[in-house]
Amino acid sequence: MIEVDEDKLIRCPVCAAVNIDRGKANSCRRCGSGIYQHRRFSTEKSWAYLITAMIAYIPANLYPMLVSTQFGATEGSTILGGVVLLWEHGSYPIALIIFVASIMIPVVKFLILIYLLISVKYPIGKDKKVNKHKLYYLTEIIGPWSMIDVFVVAILAALIHLANIEIVAGTAATAFALSVFFTLLAAHAFDETLIKENK
Amino acid sequence: MKLENEDALDNLIICHQCYTLHEEIPIKDGSKACCSVCGGILYRYDNRLIDHGLALSITGLIFFILANVFPLVQIDILGSEQYITIPKTIFSLFESGFYVVGMICAFLIFIFPLMIFAINLILFTLLKFERGDLWTKDLLILLSHITPWSMTDIFLISILVALVKLIGYAQIHMGISFWALAVFVLIDLYIVKRLHLSEVWMLRKRIIQNRERNDRG
Repeated sequence: MIEVDEDKLIRCPVCAAVNIDRGKANSCRRCGSGIYQHRRFSTEKSWAYLITAMIAYIPANLYPMLVSTQFGATEGSTILGGVVLLWEHGSYPIALIIFVASIMIPVVKFLILIYLLISVKYPIGKDKKVNKHKLYYLTEIIGPWSMIDVFVVAILAALIHLANIEIVAGTAATAFALSVFFTLLAAHAFDETLIKENK
Repeated sequence: MKLENEDALDNLIICHQCYTLHEEIPIKDGSKACCSVCGGILYRYDNRLIDHGLALSITGLIFFILANVFPLVQIDILGSEQYITIPKTIFSLFESGFYVVGMICAFLIFIFPLMIFAINLILFTLLKFERGDLWTKDLLILLSHITPWSMTDIFLISILVALVKLIGYAQIHMGISFWALAVFVLIDLYIVKRLHLSEVWMLRKRIIQNRERNDRG
């Protein structure tokens, strides 16, 4: 018989098996993967990825996402410009989808991750009522959907290849794809066991 | 809380969404257990998980091949016809010099989905014939690392968004691959998003325990 404190039970991030938290150098008893072994640098890894993602998000908004050449005239449109253009043309649902996927989701994800990373180290007053596990789960679910815009650009660029009209991806596509990639990494690197409130 | 040994931890489960600790209880075939706090699904019980998994991975692979060889969409614009396939979309990014986006797209919509279904096929075959315990372990670990990175469902929505943008400029015809991709996404949702990998881990444990019991007795 062994006596276990219920608060000491953690979930393996790889195989979801329940494990006993032994402090340093935890490795999963089922799959053998390390469970957040970087205890001394618990949030730094996630911060590093997150900051990279935020830096990449700046050129993603400043440079053109889509460059269209019509009869020799080249025209580039940024993410926000594309949304405004679609709205003016009257395609409200598409404008909304692009706005939510490429502006709202990344920003909301940045904010949630910043909040989580700060609050697990420095608890901010009365935030015990916020279910941080739910917030974290939310970032994991909505995160990949910001790739929509990159895929749309890729499809349009592959589809419109005519003599007179051509669409090419812009610099922002690379920056945006990298930004999404690094936010996903930041979310994966976040140590869920640091959240103590709802146990 | 008292436990007999560390193996008894397998009877416990922590909710994916809200991290609440639960005790696993046997449930009816085809039913599911939900979290008492947030209502998220903890686990399901499927009596014939191996057969279902095997059948779905084979079907998924067939539809994946169909989705990649035929045209996805075809448009008539200014009198000329253009069509795309999934590989063509990726290659055209490389051709125009977008290597990073091309690589990311290639992994997210081609390599990872293919790997997931191939791994599932091998995994369920090995479980079916109750062989290769070490292999199934490695495959399950690999699978849980790559499943968050498969984005065919998002790609399918992106196709629709791109096409709506083109309405008015061009005549659009949906290709065979589009429907194949739609079916593939449905199977992908079932096998990747609905099936929790911990259920497969438990299945693997039951198979190994059964074999050990048979060897002894």
